[in-house]
Amino acid sequence: MTEHNSTPKDDQYVNLVVDDVSISVEKGTTILEAAKQAGTEVPHYCYHAGLSSPAQCRLCLVEVEGAPKLMPSCTTVVTEGQVVRTDSDVATKMRQGVLEFYLVNHPLDCPICDQSGECDLQDFVFSEGRKHGRSRAAKRVLGRDDFGGDVLFYGDRCVMCTRCVRFMEEVEEKPLLSVVERGNRSVIDTFFDQGLGDAEWAGNIVDICPVGALVSKDFLYKARAWDLEHTPSICPNCSMGCNIDIHTRDNVVQRFKPRENKDVNGHWMCDYGRSRYEWLNEGKRIEEPLSTTSDGGLQTSLNWEEALIGLGEKLKSSGGRLKVIASPLSSNEDVGATVRLIQALGGGEIVFRSATTSKEVPLPGFKGLKRTKYLAPNIEGLKVLGAKYVGDEKGSGGLQAISQHTEIVLVMGDRLEDQTEKFGSEAELLIYLGSHFSEALQEADFIFPINTFAETSGTFTNCDRRVQKFSGSLEGPCEARPAWSVLNDLISIITGSESSQNVADAFNQLSGTSEVFAGTSYSDLMPQGFKLKHDPQMTRD
Amino acid sequence: MSSPKKNPGWAGNTGEYELTEADVRGTAFVGKRPLEGGHPSASATYPYMLAAKDPEAPLFEGPYLERFEKILTRYPKKRAALLPTLSLAQEIRGYVSPETMDEVASLLELSSAYVRGVTTFYTMYNKQPVGKYLIQVCTNISCNLCGAEDVLKAFLKETGTALGEISLDGNFSVIEAECLAGCGFPTCVQINSKYFENVESQDVGELLRTLVAELSIDSVKEKGDE
Amino acid sequence: MGYPYSHPSEVSIISKHFGDPDARTLDGWMKNGGYDGLKKALSMSPEEVIEIVKNSGLRGRGGAGFPTGLKWSFMPKDSGKPHYLLCNADESEPGTFKDRELIRWTPHQLIEGCIIGAYAIGAEQVYIYCRGEFFEANQVLGKAVEDAYEAGILGENIFGSGSTIELTVHAGAGAYICGEETGLMNSLEGKRGEPRIKPPFPAAAGVFGLPTTINNVETLSVIPHIVREGSDWYRQWGTEKSPGTKLFCVSGHVERPGNYELPLGFPLRKLIEDVCGGIKDKKNLKAVIPGGSSVPILSKEQVESCLLSYEGVQEAGSMLGCASVIVMDENTDIVHQVTRMASFYAHESCGQCTPCREGTAWVTNILKKMEAGQGKEEDLETLIELTDQMTGTTICVLSDSVAAPVQSSIEHFRGEYQKLLNNGGGYD
Repeated sequence: MTEHNSTPKDDQYVNLVVDDVSISVEKGTTILEAAKQAGTEVPHYCYHAGLSSPAQCRLCLVEVEGAPKLMPSCTTVVTEGQVVRTDSDVATKMRQGVLEFYLVNHPLDCPICDQSGECDLQDFVFSEGRKHGRSRAAKRVLGRDDFGGDVLFYGDRCVMCTRCVRFMEEVEEKPLLSVVERGNRSVIDTFFDQGLGDAEWAGNIVDICPVGALVSKDFLYKARAWDLEHTPSICPNCSMGCNIDIHTRDNVVQRFKPRENKDVNGHWMCDYGRSRYEWLNEGKRIEEPLSTTSDGGLQTSLNWEEALIGLGEKLKSSGGRLKVIASPLSSNEDVGATVRLIQALGGGEIVFRSATTSKEVPLPGFKGLKRTKYLAPNIEGLKVLGAKYVGDEKGSGGLQAISQHTEIVLVMGDRLEDQTEKFGSEAELLIYLGSHFSEALQEADFIFPINTFAETSGTFTNCDRRVQKFSGSLEGPCEARPAWSVLNDLISIITGSESSQNVADAFNQLSGTSEVFAGTSYSDLMPQGFKLKHDPQMTRD
Repeated sequence: MSSPKKNPGWAGNTGEYELTEADVRGTAFVGKRPLEGGHPSASATYPYMLAAKDPEAPLFEGPYLERFEKILTRYPKKRAALLPTLSLAQEIRGYVSPETMDEVASLLELSSAYVRGVTTFYTMYNKQPVGKYLIQVCTNISCNLCGAEDVLKAFLKETGTALGEISLDGNFSVIEAECLAGCGFPTCVQINSKYFENVESQDVGELLRTLVAELSIDSVKEKGDE
Repeated sequence: MGYPYSHPSEVSIISKHFGDPDARTLDGWMKNGGYDGLKKALSMSPEEVIEIVKNSGLRGRGGAGFPTGLKWSFMPKDSGKPHYLLCNADESEPGTFKDRELIRWTPHQLIEGCIIGAYAIGAEQVYIYCRGEFFEANQVLGKAVEDAYEAGILGENIFGSGSTIELTVHAGAGAYICGEETGLMNSLEGKRGEPRIKPPFPAAAGVFGLPTTINNVETLSVIPHIVREGSDWYRQWGTEKSPGTKLFCVSGHVERPGNYELPLGFPLRKLIEDVCGGIKDKKNLKAVIPGGSSVPILSKEQVESCLLSYEGVQEAGSMLGCASVIVMDENTDIVHQVTRMASFYAHESCGQCTPCREGTAWVTNILKKMEAGQGKEEDLETLIELTDQMTGTTICVLSDSVAAPVQSSIEHFRGEYQKLLNNGGGYD
């Protein structure tokens, strides 16, 4: 809400009263949006902030003093001095009546419907609907329709809000859905068996469907909405940095859902990003710090202090250059720490590999939103901090030079899937910070367990140089730590400086590490992130 | 008090009047309208429910292509020509199949799902093949008050079909229609493009026989007549 | 005069040539003073034309009765955008059959009215959205339009005035809801004919998003006469609030059903007994629907004093609508007819708004069950409450139109419903 305490009749603002609460909103705001600012959520189906408003669900009708009829609050613009009531007898009776009509053909599927617990129909009827329906006619039965991709359609449950049709037409600009037939025979369908074909953003219609008519095949019957924990994070599957919520239950990731950010992804995310989360549930983690014994072969477990001191001493006495293979899933804090480690050791470089595709996949109806060619979240972050992209479009190769490096090799996050067990055999020290084991670790001297991005907090920098915060609530192995925290401890052992152990400090250290981050602060990150300064010398790929 | 006049309408002959089409409609309006649509402003008005249908005919060729192009010039956007184009396709093919929807969609640069949504909204587009004569009996209030339901029953009996089905000889389909705007002349029946007014149950048999007789006179090639 | 019967009470302005095949032709029309109104309009400024229509008090003849001159004056003056005039010839209201007659007997009258209207509102494009089932009317109109183009009455530089007016006849495809003005606009744009919310109003953003005026066939057919003869001339008939004449479509149980052009304010009883020759077979009157199926049914008593003007019918308890008078005699099964009307609305509902989509079908269902003797006592209350829930809550008034016959029939003919309930065994 915009704080506004100058003269009431300012040109840009309109004063009105909603349910006895006086508010002042920008000119052009609809009553429904204004009511939110007054603390009232007006029930609605067809309205969605990211789509057009046909005002056809008839649920958002409110009483406006002086108007002869109830007005649809999603399209009626506020006027000065308006007095709006959403809770009057007339308005509540109307909503009760409209809800009764919605339930005439709606099946009592709650026990078997995925939407239960996050269903607008359930919520509205529970709070305002009639206790018993009066219809005694048999309900229409449409069954289940596979729309292709990840989308299943249960026609019986549909409330004909047409959000899905409008999304496909206005936002993805592939009108593959339409309302078919007329009147109470109407139903949403694709062109016969064509389905949703090659639509790349169709998963969003499952999000915006207010009831359980459109559901995700992947999520079908997997978990109940009320059991899920939501953690705000950033999608790891490309460089767009779509804001997401990670939904977990019992420490297992159940799904990704988009989170609204009007500067990055609006309300949307692509199917590619949405569907790639299973790897976060992979077991077989590195549980504790390991190191090889001096005669090679056996790996013994150490505690962190032993391990870090042991490694730190070796690094201090080595004097060699450090080559780092970072992962594009490393956070800015992780990469910043490797930069400082290189500085502390007197020189080195950072490379990274990433899978890429040949084409971007834009969402035409939301400017700037696309699936980027780079299929990892922190490509720009790595580049800004001086890392170099190597390897091919599958994210393999590019490591010839490093695999022959005779001094210090640090692998952070990269799983080395394409490397053999001989990797790093020339190196004086091969250090591996990772979440999962790899075949190529036979020559590793130290293996440290780190957290995935879903288990900790940090920041990624997206393709537009926007730095955004992610948080994680998954619990990794109890000995796993964020990579930056391990590296900061090492740096502290080598240089004697203080080691910051919270992520805010780790982020704020970046302003000292890189010019591009100068003047930034962790506290500036919420809610929309912020953009880094443009450096004309950095080439963008 | 004289009994209600039987309005010959366009049918020409429903028993009481021996009027020719020219008598009723004026000589200028008798006969075939040009297949290629005449003046573009009126290209969408050619009667389009013919007894002869060709479900395999291409969209569009020859004079029909000319008519389609004329129709396109009358609207600022291609999408607005959708209804006349579907009607033209139905004129040629007799009904709008999924393939037809697909072809019309590519002609007008629309998605097939969109065209399906529009086609299924309107009653006049037949989504299934119909008999050579589509008999639509108005049973709405004004005609209902004057015995429309008996007329409907008579049609069903005389053609030997069930509502919405095609008769065994392929000649007739009988459906109920909503108000045809012939309320002053109950019961109003539309058969293909013609209105038959003041129809009573006892007229039905004779009417059907006349239609069957016309079928053998009009050859399939004579597109342009009813 | 009326068609197929005429009566001395009639005032034949627009129906003068009903039944005369010659009047369809351009020559036939011009012989009878045709296009004089247009020539006169072209000699005036558009503002002056609008003034004449405003002063005549002409009200829209499509059912809403909105003052036409006022509607024309809503068009923006300097928008720089192209303006459109749409003629609503999608006549589908049960009981109404006047527009079809107007188009098939005097298409040039309509064309003339359209051109004058387009000139007055600054439109260069006119679309006549004619119902798809009207094959004959479409063909006649199409031929008339072609003749008009050939004679330089349409197209560029009409009658040498420098104005360009293009007209296109667009055939619909069978949907009652396309007779609603925004539904018509959507249908013209090649979409499903679903009504839009207002605001924005058609004069601001109508067809293709541009300023649009939409008028009924009958309204536009009167325009040439008003412009030619002047607004005072038109006011000599009718009442103060409802000036002029109207085509009344009388159907149902009368001796002489058909169209009659009478001055507004004409007594309903006289229309039935005198003009139409009374109830067929000398039966007694039971009920009359004065304005098409969307208005409340009038009982015998209400018919007695009802005057057929916009305000007169409202006083009597109903609405004039499009003046389609449906007469029902003593043997009419009211419940059956109301059920048929309700199923008409259920069939024609576009399906956007839930109260209409589900409500029309539900109401029809309850009525059918009652007819079959399976009704329950509370069904009457339910019907009234449901139709109340459907009134004022939707984008267009189709759902309100179901309330009219249902509620008025329960009010006046409760006994018939009660009989069905008493005879039935209820259902569960």
